[in-house]
Amino acid sequence: MTALTVLYDPTCGLCRRAHEWLEQQRKLIELVFVPCKSEEARVRFPQLDHDLTANDLTVIGDQGEVFMGPKAWLMVLWALSQYREWSYRLASPALLPTTRRVVSMISQHRYQISRAVGQTR
Amino acid sequence: MTIGITTYLIYLAISIGLTIWVARTLHKNGRVFLVDVFHGNEALADSVNHLLVVGFYLINFGYVSLALKLGYDVTTPQEGIEALSVKVGMVLLVLGAMHFFNLFIFSRMRRRAGLVNGPPPVPPDGYTRVQEA
Repeated sequence: MTALTVLYDPTCGLCRRAHEWLEQQRKLIELVFVPCKSEEARVRFPQLDHDLTANDLTVIGDQGEVFMGPKAWLMVLWALSQYREWSYRLASPALLPTTRRVVSMISQHRYQISRAVGQTR
Repeated sequence: MTIGITTYLIYLAISIGLTIWVARTLHKNGRVFLVDVFHGNEALADSVNHLLVVGFYLINFGYVSLALKLGYDVTTPQEGIEALSVKVGMVLLVLGAMHFFNLFIFSRMRRRAGLVNGPPPVPPDGYTRVQEA
């Protein structure tokens, strides 16, 4: 795998901040950012259920591997040279349930969190 | 030659001998690790190995040299042996600490290198067709 396409939610302040932060990180795998439900996303991935990608972060590998929600977050971490170790740690059987819970909670409340930290939505 | 001078000379001989022995062990056995870390690039591995050993020599000889002075007079052979055992003991501890520090560096480099080629942490949820742009 040499590149990951990240379908992110451009209407959420937290996601935009995360996007900016990710752009600055040193990467082992190239990250391509495409807004979810955009025309570009539909053209690139014609068979994907795009309504689902609005609910949860979705990451797609260059061979068409689809990772959603907590798995997508782990794949993004895995792409970063500073955090690859963490992706394995958080994906270990002992920590994976906690990772899923925390990631789902952040995802579901992302607009509230954005507002709370002073982002517009 | 006084007992004090003899103690110093024996101290130097033992310390220098030990340092050289540990450095050579490190040099000989560390190479395999480094070749693995640098994916078979032997020239780079040898270079890093050599640089590590130079640092090892500098720190150890520096310590041996600084720790030479006894600060009190040694008049009997018994006092000489006791002074020697304290000094050589300290040198051994410093060598041991340096040696483990080097091993720690080797193992960390190796772990880092292994991560670069690591597989994804989780299997995909499914597959989709990718339309090439």
